[in-house]
Amino acid sequence: MLGARGLSIGYDGRTVAAGIDLTVARGEVLCLLGPNGAGKTTLFKTLLGLIPPIAGEVTVGERPLGSLTRAELAKSMAYVPQAQVMEFAYTVLDLVLMGRTVHLGPFSAPGRRDHERAHAALADLGIADLADAEANRISGGQRQLCLVARALAQDAPLLVMDEPTASLDLGNRLLVLERVRALKAQNYGVVFSTHDPDQARDLATTVAVIAGGRLAAYGAPQDTVTGPILSAVYGVDVVVERTESGRHVVAPRC
Amino acid sequence: MNTSRRAALALLGAGLLARPSWAQARTITDSAGRKVVLPDRINRVFVAGPPASVLVYTLAPDAMVGWVRLPTAAEKEFLVAPARDLPETGRLTGRGDTMSLERLVAAKPDLVVDFGSVADTYVSLANRVQEQTGIPYVLIDGTFAATPASLRLAGDILGRSARGAELADYADKTFANVDAVRARVPAGKRPRVYLARGPEGLETGGRGSINTEIIERVGGVNVAEGLGGRGNTANASLEQIIAWQPDVIVTLDRAFHQAVKSKPGWDQVRAVAENKVFLAPSLPWGWIDAPPSLNRLIGLRWLLATFYPTESGIDLKADTRAFYALFYGVKLDDAQLDRLLGGAAAR
Amino acid sequence: MPSSIDSSVVRPRADARRSAVVIGGLLVILLLAVLLAAMLGPYPLTPGEVIAAIARRVIGAAQPGPVDTVLFQIRLPRVAAALLVGAALAAAGASYQTLFRNPLVSPDILGVSAGAGFGAVLGILLSLPVFAIQGLGFVTGMITVGIVYTLARALRSQNEILVLVLAGIVVGALAGAGISLVKILADPYNQLPAITFWLLGSLSGIKVSDVQVVAPLVILGLVPLGLLRWRIGVLSLGDDEARALGVNVRFVRGVVITSATLITATAVSVSGVIGWIGLVIPHMARLLVGPRYDRVLPAAALMGAGFLVLIDTVARTAARIEIPLGLLTALFGAPVFVWLLARGRRMWS
Repeated sequence: MLGARGLSIGYDGRTVAAGIDLTVARGEVLCLLGPNGAGKTTLFKTLLGLIPPIAGEVTVGERPLGSLTRAELAKSMAYVPQAQVMEFAYTVLDLVLMGRTVHLGPFSAPGRRDHERAHAALADLGIADLADAEANRISGGQRQLCLVARALAQDAPLLVMDEPTASLDLGNRLLVLERVRALKAQNYGVVFSTHDPDQARDLATTVAVIAGGRLAAYGAPQDTVTGPILSAVYGVDVVVERTESGRHVVAPRC
Repeated sequence: MNTSRRAALALLGAGLLARPSWAQARTITDSAGRKVVLPDRINRVFVAGPPASVLVYTLAPDAMVGWVRLPTAAEKEFLVAPARDLPETGRLTGRGDTMSLERLVAAKPDLVVDFGSVADTYVSLANRVQEQTGIPYVLIDGTFAATPASLRLAGDILGRSARGAELADYADKTFANVDAVRARVPAGKRPRVYLARGPEGLETGGRGSINTEIIERVGGVNVAEGLGGRGNTANASLEQIIAWQPDVIVTLDRAFHQAVKSKPGWDQVRAVAENKVFLAPSLPWGWIDAPPSLNRLIGLRWLLATFYPTESGIDLKADTRAFYALFYGVKLDDAQLDRLLGGAAAR
Repeated sequence: MPSSIDSSVVRPRADARRSAVVIGGLLVILLLAVLLAAMLGPYPLTPGEVIAAIARRVIGAAQPGPVDTVLFQIRLPRVAAALLVGAALAAAGASYQTLFRNPLVSPDILGVSAGAGFGAVLGILLSLPVFAIQGLGFVTGMITVGIVYTLARALRSQNEILVLVLAGIVVGALAGAGISLVKILADPYNQLPAITFWLLGSLSGIKVSDVQVVAPLVILGLVPLGLLRWRIGVLSLGDDEARALGVNVRFVRGVVITSATLITATAVSVSGVIGWIGLVIPHMARLLVGPRYDRVLPAAALMGAGFLVLIDTVARTAARIEIPLGLLTALFGAPVFVWLLARGRRMWS
């Protein structure tokens, strides 16, 4: 559904990373791992068509990204940025309705159908009761979920989520991750970036590790979220251990 | 043509022509070349600005509706009743609005008189007000040189032709006198003059500005050249004034006149050192300026007497009495004359 | 796919209904304000005379005379102009605040008032006829924003908003310097008072022909803002998010700037510089209907129109002389603004 071939990303003439190949299909989760400044956000923006690639190409549903209109792109991919406090005190419903923009006529405002979809998206994420709450006054995790709801309301089959659990407390973090798992089960495609290798190991179908200006690793979680690779990429000394329940965690070597 | 357009045209026509009290109408041409339809008899005149208030006061004080700015008690002493007790009506649109057009209509004047610039802005303003309110609006040229012609025109318009002619003759004579005296005075003896405005005396008028044109008319050489385009108010520095070294300083500000000798640095100016700083009389209106209107005619004689005391042969007291009686209708007694001219003594 | 939802829970019309009620209420208040303004003025007219005169005109039996002249040549054109200028300034303010994602922005941010002011005072200096003064003001206002926009695009920065604001400040400052220069060169007796008064804002010389020019221009500018109301609101999320949501950001931004500049330049050219409406009225509108642009736009336009009609009524009746509108709006607007700030950031909702 979404693919990149030989992609070089960057801006203002500066290349941040090069030679990136990746794909995401429906029902798959692609996780981007990498140190700060490696280019995860730049990659997202390039995949979303917000900044042009320096080299290589991005394809969306087999078509080159450049050949799609802004509207077609928005119908194919939904962006979930990191939740922030906004200048205007929109309600949760207002925000989610904005996800319906691409489906509105040029001179229309959201109608009954759009409201239905918005409420359905909120219900799906278990925050239906927040619809009339001010988005700036709910918790960070709930706000992040609103943005996920907005992406759902957009009715795009692929969600691109930029560090969706950054600065969230444990409870909210687990909430968001659980929803991502649910989305995967519902046959959405998801791309998300994280600093937490455990999340990658847990949720991802494919993991892409970006470091040092290139794709340091790409493949299944068990092949990429490994002690040696992580140690090399982050410049630390870590191992991946298996827990009793069969899951894996990353920890410093003792 | 549909009903509302017909109604609109009827209104326009009616507004311009059908004045209830008109027996007959006449058409005059004002200084801007506009043809204006007026009633035969003018009983109520509205003045658009300060120069016009002077004009109408001298020609037809009984027809004035009000003053642009209420005269102070000191000024009223030099004006006659009942005109001096008229209320304030404010300035008209476009000249620093203070007056609403509705008030103009409420005042029910026969005519609005404007005395001053006849540039396009004021022509279009006059047309606008006339169209909107249906009140005839005449523009009279206020440049100093045009004073006699303007007096005659205004006199005809206001139905005071004889009086207009009388005042215009006086103006003609005054100008002739000025020219004659100028001819007698060799160029070398014409004083270099600086006009000091404001309490610090640093505001002046450049050559050709409306504030100083009367000074230049009598042959004074305005030291303040090149201060701004066509000659306007500008600010000078004391250093500049010393560099110019005017022979004479004329000021409108009493405070400046009192204090100039004690202001640091001014003693370096020749005019100050030689006690040639003159305060222009200003009651009821300034003799040099403020407003730039007919009041300047007596200023001409005063300047002649001040600049050329020997060549001009002017009896200032007699001339002042005559002017005030003729133009303002005021008989000055000795005490008033002294008060008027006394302040004008050299310092 | 998300589960379907019980339709009875969905009440899109409820929220929309509340907004409609508020906007309907504002419309009624506006009409009352207009009626009040038509009744009040220095020329004494009883309400009966006013209504009778209007009725006569409506049925086509207008009766010429001072009542008709005062009402239809002087007072009502002025009220109409106040409506249009107030609506234009408030709508432009709301649009720019959304566009620049900053509730503290006024329509002058891109320099349109300074530019229009420069053109108009230049026209006064050159002794042009009144319509030319207004026209020149309009043209220079539009050109100023054009220069700002072109400058911002040429600088090709990632943060287009910031560059726009900075360019607006710079060009606006230049225009302001130009105004000061004109003031120095102006004839102190006639031109300078006219310039000063113009810069303070006034509707005192408005006539029917002015309204006939201003009305279509203001409507022409308001229509695109109304049509694109939803997408303009989405712009307030930021360029990246708006693009990802399917909005053609550059195009919508261009429409907002062009339309808002058109209506502001039109307003300023005919009324002079009237501040605070574009800044404060959108805030008050947000207090009533929430921050969504598709609701703020009509609410702000109605409130701005009503507000200026009332202010103008005060300006021409409170004292014997005309009080400049800019003074009155500042007297009212500044304290209200401080109050809004004091109530905290949440009041920017």
